[in-house]
Amino acid sequence: MHALALALLLLALSPFLWLVLMSFKTNAEIFRFPPRLLFDATLANYAALWTSEFRNSFANSLVVSVVSTALSLLIGVPAAYALSRWTTRAGGTVTLWILASRMAPPIAFTIPYFLVYRHLELLDTWTGLIIIYLTFNLSLVIWMMRPFYDQLPRSLEEAAWIDGATMWQGFHRIILPLSGPGLAATAILCFLFAWNDFFFALILTRTEAMTAPVAVVNFMNYEGWEWGRIAAGGTMIMLPVLVFSFVVRRYLVHGLTGGALKG
Amino acid sequence: MGKIARQQHRFFVWCVAPSLAVLAVITLLPSLYLLATSFTPLNLTRPETLWDFSQPLESYRQLWNDTRFHNSVWVQIKLSFWTVLLQLLIGLGLALLLNMRTRLIEALRTVFLIPMVLPPIVVAIIWKVIYTPDISPMHGIFRAVGWNVPALITDPNWALTSIIIADTWEWFPFTMLMVLAALQMMPQELLDAAKVDGASPWQLTWYITLPFVQGVLLVAGLFRLIDSIKAFPLIFILTDGGPGSLTEVTNYYSYLQAFNFSYLGFSSAITVVLLAATIVLSWVIVRVVGWGVRVD
Repeated sequence: MHALALALLLLALSPFLWLVLMSFKTNAEIFRFPPRLLFDATLANYAALWTSEFRNSFANSLVVSVVSTALSLLIGVPAAYALSRWTTRAGGTVTLWILASRMAPPIAFTIPYFLVYRHLELLDTWTGLIIIYLTFNLSLVIWMMRPFYDQLPRSLEEAAWIDGATMWQGFHRIILPLSGPGLAATAILCFLFAWNDFFFALILTRTEAMTAPVAVVNFMNYEGWEWGRIAAGGTMIMLPVLVFSFVVRRYLVHGLTGGALKG
Repeated sequence: MGKIARQQHRFFVWCVAPSLAVLAVITLLPSLYLLATSFTPLNLTRPETLWDFSQPLESYRQLWNDTRFHNSVWVQIKLSFWTVLLQLLIGLGLALLLNMRTRLIEALRTVFLIPMVLPPIVVAIIWKVIYTPDISPMHGIFRAVGWNVPALITDPNWALTSIIIADTWEWFPFTMLMVLAALQMMPQELLDAAKVDGASPWQLTWYITLPFVQGVLLVAGLFRLIDSIKAFPLIFILTDGGPGSLTEVTNYYSYLQAFNFSYLGFSSAITVVLLAATIVLSWVIVRVVGWGVRVD
């Protein structure tokens, strides 16, 4: 049984491993078949990338993802808490709205944003990307954190109120310190969604604010087919993703389905 | 309690207001703008078309008669059907296989998630490599055993299938993960009781496990269905909608109309249809899962 599982795993991951290996190969080695198991690994592809424009794109990705994550948490966390504690009739409508914003095809937002950004001069800027990334990250925060707060007993902050704390103090001093794990997982997922975005950046950036995923694709279109560099760029983009996903693996189902499934 | 209730109410309003205000500005207004644009013949090369509402339903009338749009919907249906079906089957199969509590299996489970968490653009690059005969290990093996296999992504018979394979690879971990999560909540007594009654492993799976996970399969399938409407990077990198328009899904057709041909008005009409489909499917999910129904 274990052998079968292992064999399936190798089969399933071979395309991924192939790309990683490719990033350490010279061009001649890439075209060789059958491939040599022990080839002379080279870091030339990475070195070439790091001295090119790609470095700026990598930095753009980093800045835009971090800022959009921070903003989403700042705005979304209090809302998630309130929606968890507050029973209103509008609950269902708000849930549908939030789910629909998460699920909407990116092009639905891209067309109006593109038209408006042309006038506001937000095309190809960090600000422009950060705002559009809020469309999915703000919903994600509310979605992730609301079920989290549902699990925290109300008696916690009620005890504080009885001791004379204000609502804000109850939230700030009692609830927030208990939110650590949930906040960390949510922050990482927000970061990953922004980091992984391709479509918004493809349409709304040109050169200045271009993110890493779009930059890699440009290696395909304009500079011929430099497979080594493409593989190295792809590997660099996936590296933070793999590390972070490993950290939040327990929360992945939750983040992708918004607690549609308890567990 | 009256005063405290009022305080509470005021506090909650202040917590929720910023989020709802921001969401209204960044999602609701753009959706309305999209709807407005869909009633104009907006074409970026002709600025006078910007707010021309003289024939508001013209784009929708064209859409109704546009065979390329019809084709894109059909391609979308084929893509969604096969990817969702395959992901459910493979995800379910793997989850049943990996539903054991040994250390090795728990580690394997995590590694199986890699395709799903990879940036979509990296997935597209991986499959571009696999489907490019010069450098593909797959084509290398085909050549070595003497098969003459064409480049799949440019072959009319194989283009859509190659996208389906890549998409299935990217997302089978999602269904696997959801089924695994459900399996772990399965009451052990149920299985034990059936075993005592002499049920075979197949009977256990068929009569106990499957009925237990069918709700999860439905939810996972719905999520994948909605997501399949957004398919973009794979098609953009692998086939560009071709050959001809054999892999041109509706989302991709809309993108081409807007950002290759500058017909933003027409593209908006296509997108409104897509958005409506998404909202209906989201509503189905909210119903199925029973969100927003609070019992206190």
